[in-house]
Formats: sequence, structure tokens, C-alpha cells
Amino acid sequence: MTSRTMQAHPAGEHEAAAVIQHGQSGMPTALVGMLLFIASEVMFFAGLFATYFNARASVGAGQWGPPEGAHELDLPLAAVLTAILVASSFTMQFGVWAIRRGDTGKLKLWTGITLALGALFLAGQLYDYSELGFGISDGVFGTTFYTLTGFHGAHVFGGTVGLTIVLARAMRGQFSARNHVAVEAVSMYWHFVDVVWIGVFSTIYLLR
Amino acid sequence: MPDTVIGFVLLGIVMLVVLGIVFAIASRGGPATAAAKPPRGVHMPGPSFLPVVMSVAAALLGAGLAFRGQDQLANPFLAIPGLLVLVAGVVAWVRAANHEWRDTEHGSHDDGAAH
Amino acid sequence: MATTTLEPRAGTYRRSWVIEWLTTVDHKKIGILYIVNSFLFFFAAGILALVIRTELAVPGLQIVDQATYNQAFTMHGTIMLFLFIIPALSGFGNYIVPLMLGAPDMAFPRINALSFWLLPLGGLLIFSGYLFGGAAAEGWTGYAPLTGQEYGTTPGTDLWIIGLTLVGTASILGAVNFIATIFKMRAPGMTLFRMPIFVWTVLVTAVLILLATPVLAAGLIALFIDRNYGGSFFDPTVGGNPILWQHIFWFFGHPEVYIVILPAMGVVSEILPVFSRKPLFGYKAFVFATIAIGLLSFSVWAHHMFTTGEVFLPFFAFMTALIAVPTGVKMFNWLATLWRGKLMLATPMLFALGFVSMFLIGGLSGVMLSSPPIDFHVQDTYFVVAHLHYVFFGGSVFGVFAATYYWFPKMTGRKLNEPLGKVHFWIHFIGFNLAFFPMHQLGLDGMPRRISDYSPDAGWTLLNFVSTIGAFMVAVSIIPFLINVIATFINGEPAGDDPWEGNTLEWATTSPPPPYNFDRLPPIHSERPLFFLTHGHGHAAERPADLEETEEEDVEHRGGLV
Repeated sequence: MTSRTMQAHPAGEHEAAAVIQHGQSGMPTALVGMLLFIASEVMFFAGLFATYFNARASVGAGQWGPPEGAHELDLPLAAVLTAILVASSFTMQFGVWAIRRGDTGKLKLWTGITLALGALFLAGQLYDYSELGFGISDGVFGTTFYTLTGFHGAHVFGGTVGLTIVLARAMRGQFSARNHVAVEAVSMYWHFVDVVWIGVFSTIYLLR
Repeated sequence: MPDTVIGFVLLGIVMLVVLGIVFAIASRGGPATAAAKPPRGVHMPGPSFLPVVMSVAAALLGAGLAFRGQDQLANPFLAIPGLLVLVAGVVAWVRAANHEWRDTEHGSHDDGAAH
Repeated sequence: MATTTLEPRAGTYRRSWVIEWLTTVDHKKIGILYIVNSFLFFFAAGILALVIRTELAVPGLQIVDQATYNQAFTMHGTIMLFLFIIPALSGFGNYIVPLMLGAPDMAFPRINALSFWLLPLGGLLIFSGYLFGGAAAEGWTGYAPLTGQEYGTTPGTDLWIIGLTLVGTASILGAVNFIATIFKMRAPGMTLFRMPIFVWTVLVTAVLILLATPVLAAGLIALFIDRNYGGSFFDPTVGGNPILWQHIFWFFGHPEVYIVILPAMGVVSEILPVFSRKPLFGYKAFVFATIAIGLLSFSVWAHHMFTTGEVFLPFFAFMTALIAVPTGVKMFNWLATLWRGKLMLATPMLFALGFVSMFLIGGLSGVMLSSPPIDFHVQDTYFVVAHLHYVFFGGSVFGVFAATYYWFPKMTGRKLNEPLGKVHFWIHFIGFNLAFFPMHQLGLDGMPRRISDYSPDAGWTLLNFVSTIGAFMVAVSIIPFLINVIATFINGEPAGDDPWEGNTLEWATTSPPPPYNFDRLPPIHSERPLFFLTHGHGHAAERPADLEETEEEDVEHRGGLV
């Protein structure tokens, strides 16, 4: 008796590690897990965005901005950071395509570049923080600004940790065309981080 | 607050004593017994201390945040050990996942990370 | 009887049971850990309930002062919801869902263990407030600005925030696990529409947890920043908005209550067919109703905020009333399942029937509350307390007990004593109604909630006294339950694989199941695979041993589950 949920794997093929059952089709379980995790993170940022928008509506869009005496937001710098992060998403995807073709060398190259761009983004973010004249306790704009960008930065940092792990494993030759779920998972996460930044940038710097 | 510190030191001592007792009991092993094998084609991670350890570390970090003094980001005596153990735990987790991946027969075309 | 192939593994020391339980990643052990842990928190929060009821029995502050009273009801609510009901149902889900799916374990076993261990640690943090100057005392809903820097000065509130964040993280990880397991690890032949209803409710619950709990996390973090780092989210003096907290909290809080009730509905949907000897009426309707409830639950949150004056009343009133429709569909389907069934009134069935009737009352008071004109009068009164206890307690807790009696044989291999179970049920049921039904009237008479004392001239004394008697009856009913559990562990009657003649796959293996759950799975062609196995599609099929022939074919395709 056949079953529609089975794939045509000959019996005896083995799946890797934790609880993969023979005959799974579709997205690898680990990737499903990452996707679900990302969904929860989207909702987390939704909550933070809600606080931003609510505060902005309460204060009034006209008066919304850094407190008196502080610098205006550095839009050019933020635009550069956006470019860096968007570029890093491209380089990450090049890496994914490379390993899908089995090209470990290119994977290492593109992952390294992505990692460098991510680190550059973080450095730029910290530099921006140092230049601003207000803090988290300087009124509701400061609070929402630092919370939103700060948690995003923390997620970028988490992503760079993931990229480092991927790079290390790639350098030890652990990935192949058929075996690179970790790369796919980290790249999914990295794209998510990028999309959230586009949201943050548009909201805080463009929409104001 | 001095009381808090005393409270935590006492709690810590109690926990160490309890864990010591637990270890004393736990280190009494026994002869090899039959262990069930998984059906063919199914691979599962073995037992692990990491979930308990990571939970304790997360709780320490959290307690550090809750018990911060004025002008502190967090209480360093709690938060720093918590953070260190957490990081070490993540490293150990990823390495364990790697080992299990490599230990599975023939590798696979579906690298499910061992969780 | 199903058997397990055992092979000695050379050089393995038998581990002490303490280490075994501390390091386990087996969903069955983790499920039991969840359940035991939740019952411990249940007793702690129950004691707090008795403190509350004792104080309120007669006017005057007899046993606690106001500050302690505030901590009592805050801790009671927080612990009951986050550390008892949800983990208990999650524990049953952990144990039973992989079995119902024919899977060997959850998708991510180690993360499963992590999800569990975060719970006692989180609960410890929350409770430790008592050690350090006072636990959180602002209600389980933690409204700003009461929880803000100015008013909420006890360290207990920070511990409450951190502890809940840990517990919330555990929930989210668990939700990821459940969804991945349900989508990726079903046995061959088990399509989504052949899954048991319990699995469906766990799935929808997991989606709700995944999407709603992070919003709570965002709110808790924002509150922590306000309290500790000079933030201004909820402080109106620096541009913040206290109503924002309510929005964020209830955007989570409403899906939360469906997270609490849906798995219990799933349990009841498993028990009623088995004990009526009839298939569940309207399987597909149940599935769609569950999904509808899940979707709608995100659209009603502001019905907790009708009285703030900042809410668009017609929309939220309409959506709240609307969510009663799929709930009503379920209610009618349960009744239709019972109709003309051969009812077996064993203890699980009694609790399931108790659920149906008590949840009905709670649901009706909920529909009343969905009407803003009524809500304006009874918001923050004991009417709401009555409603929430009828749905949480009469609903979910009855569901937890039903699940306990139903699946105890599977988990331990022994059946709980029936007469003791019935004693537990009846004292529990009568005590529960005595405790909470008068609260409807108290609320209509104007008694506010969260007060530690009231005037003797208010006319509330009699009903409060009656309610306290009921509360103590509930407490007393736990005694036969505990005696039952302990005695059965020591010397209970063996249960066998399938003591209730169930329909679903968990009954197709030993009690308790072997480590990898199944040696052989029955063929799956319907949502009642075991029923058709035992009763056949018109021919008398027997247990797995007699299906050797078909098993061979299945080996090729399943490739490894044998």
C-alpha cells in the first residue's frame, strides 16, 4: 500500500541527525524550524513597531523627533548602512547559490564578505549612536528609537554569529551541494534581518 | 542591596549542596542494560545536560538584570557568569549538533541540524 | 502486544534516574516533567487562591494586609495561567502528539527539553520576588503606570517581567517544535485531515503562541526599559501612553486565552467519541472551527479595553460576538457526538462532560461581556472573575483533569481508581460551582475585582462566604486525587495497551510506550486508525500481529518504522 506522503527513496537511505524520518519530502525540518522562528521574530518587531507608531501618534507627527538640543537623525549615514545591509543580503544569496552548485570556495568567499558587511553595519550603527545627542531615557522618541534600532542591531549581531559558524564549518569542508541546510537557514535569517532594517529605516528615517 | 547579596549567596550554597547530593546519588552507576535501538532510518539525539545548563544560565542572566543596582546595566555577579555559561552552552550545542551530523551513517542529502 | 527489540549496548552504565530525567530529550519523559511541574505550580497558586478566598469570606482584613493581598492575586493569576494550565496542556501535547502522529519523537528533541527546563527556572524567578521584598503585585495583567517606575517599586515586578520572558521564550520554542513535528513527522497515510482533533488544536494553539507571545515579549521588554533604564513607553509625563501597554498586552492576552482553551477542547474532542462509542460528529467542521477561532482571536483584543474610551467599540464588539460562532459549532458537534451514543461515564468522561457544561456557562457570560453596554457596568467586577473562572477552570482545568484520567494509563501502565476518581470529580464540580457561580451576582451587584476587603453594608457578605466554602471544597477534592495518583503508582491495576478502546494511534502501542514509540504502526486510512484496525472495514481485522502480510509491504515504503 502506497502513501502519498512518501517520496521515492529506496529503503536504506539514511537521514542525518535528530529525528529526520526516512521519506520526508519538501523543506528540511531544520529549515521549517528556522522559518517558524523568523515568524515569531517578525511578531516581536511588530510589537516594537507598534510602540513606535503609537508614541508617534500620541506626540503628534509634527513634534516627533529627537529632543531639543540633540542632533537631527543622520539620514545619509543610515542610507549608507542600508546599502551595506542590502548588499550583504545579495552576497549571502550568492553564497547560497554557490553551495547549491557545490562550490565551497565561493561559499567561503561570499560568506566572508557578508560577515564583513554585517560587522561594518554594526560598527556604523554604533558610530551613529555615539554621534546622536540623546539617549534612551531622553523622552519617548529616544526610548522608541533606541529600542527599535537596538534590538535590530542585536539581531544583526546574532546573524553575524550564525555567519561565523557557517564560515567555520565551510572552511572545514562540511558543506556540499546535497548537505548545506545550515547555510540555507542562516541565509534565511540574514534576509529577515535585512528586511526588518528596511522597515526600520523607512519608518524612522524616511517616514519620520 | 546587601540583603539581596546575602540571599543569593545562601541560595547558591543551598543549590550547591542539593546538586552535590544529586551528584552523589547519580554517580552510582550500574551494569550495562539493554537499550532500545531506534528503527532503521530514524536518528535521534542522545541525552544532554545542555538544556538544564542553558536554562540555569538564562535564569542567572535574567536575575542579573532584575537585581541591578542604580546606574548599572545589570548585576555583574549574576549576569556575567550567566552570559558566559550561555555562550559556552551555545558553542557546545552547535558542536554536539556537528558531531551527530557527522556520526550518522553515510551523511545524507538532508542535513537536519541535530537539535 | 507490541514488542520492542532490545539490543545490549556494550559499555553503557545504567544511569541514575536523576541524571536520566535531568538529561532526557525523550518527549514522553519531557511530557511527564511538564505535567508534574505544572501540578506543583497548581498547588502553589491554589494555596494563594485559598488565601484570597479566606480573606474575602467576611468583611475586614483578617489574615493579610493589602500589599500581601495584591501579591496573592497577582501571583495566583500569573502562576495558574503561565505555569500551570499552558504547561500542563503542553505536557500532554508533548507526550501524546508524536504518538498520535505515529512519530518517534518531536522534531527537535533537545530544544524540547530546553523549553521544559526554562519553566521551573522562570517560575522560580517569578516566585523569588517573595524573598526579595515582595512579589509582583499589579495583577497578572501588569497595567502601566502601576507597574511603572514610580508605583511599582518592588523588585518582584522586575523578576516577574524577566521570569515571564523566560517562560514566553520556552513557549515559543515549544510552538516551533509542535508545528514542525506536525507538518514533517506524520506517519505514512496520515494526511492532515486524518489527524486527531487534539493534534489540530495543538497545531492552532502553537501558531497562536508563535505569533502572539513575541508581542508580549516586546511589551515586557518595553516595561523593563521603562522601569530600569528611564524609558518613556508608558509614562505620560514624558510623552508615553499607558493605554499602549493595554493594547500590547491584550493583543497577546486574547490569543493567550485561546491558547489556554483550545488544547482542552481537543482533549474533550478525543474523549467524547471514545466514551460515547461513536465517531466525533463533524470532524471537518471542528477543524475549520478551530482555525476560525485561531484567526479571529487576533481581532478581538480591545474588548478588554472597552472602558478606556479609546477603542472603536462596534468593530471589537462585533468580532467578539463573531468568535462565539465557531465556538458554538464545536459545542453543537460535541452534543451531536453524545446524542444516541452508548455513554460510558468513567472519570475522564465526567470531566469532559463537566467541561462542556461549564464552558458553556463561561462562554455565555463571555458573549454577554462582548456587548459594550453590559461591559461598561461589569468591567473590573466579579462578573468578569466569574466568567474567566468558568472558562479557565470549568474549561481548561477540567480539560487537564480529563486528560490526566484519560492518558494516565498510557503514561504509567496503570489505571487510576474509578471510585476515587468519581469522588474527586463530584466534590470538585460542586465546589467549583459553589465558588464561582455567586460571583456573577456579586459582579452585577457592583463588587469590584482585586479588592482585599469590602464594607459589611454592601450586601456582598453572604455570597462571598458561600464562594469561600466552594473554594475550600475544590481544595479538598484534590485529596482523593492525590491519594489516587500515589496509590496507583504504588499498586495500581495494570492497564494494557488500550484500556478505553480508543480510536487513535497512541493506543496502538504498549503502556507506557517503548522509547521509540512504535514497533509497528497500523495502516492509516482515516482519522480513527485504531478503530478500523480493531473493527475492520467490514472484515474482522485483528491487532498488528495478524497484519504481517500488509506490514511487509509497508516496510518498503515506510522504510524504517518497523
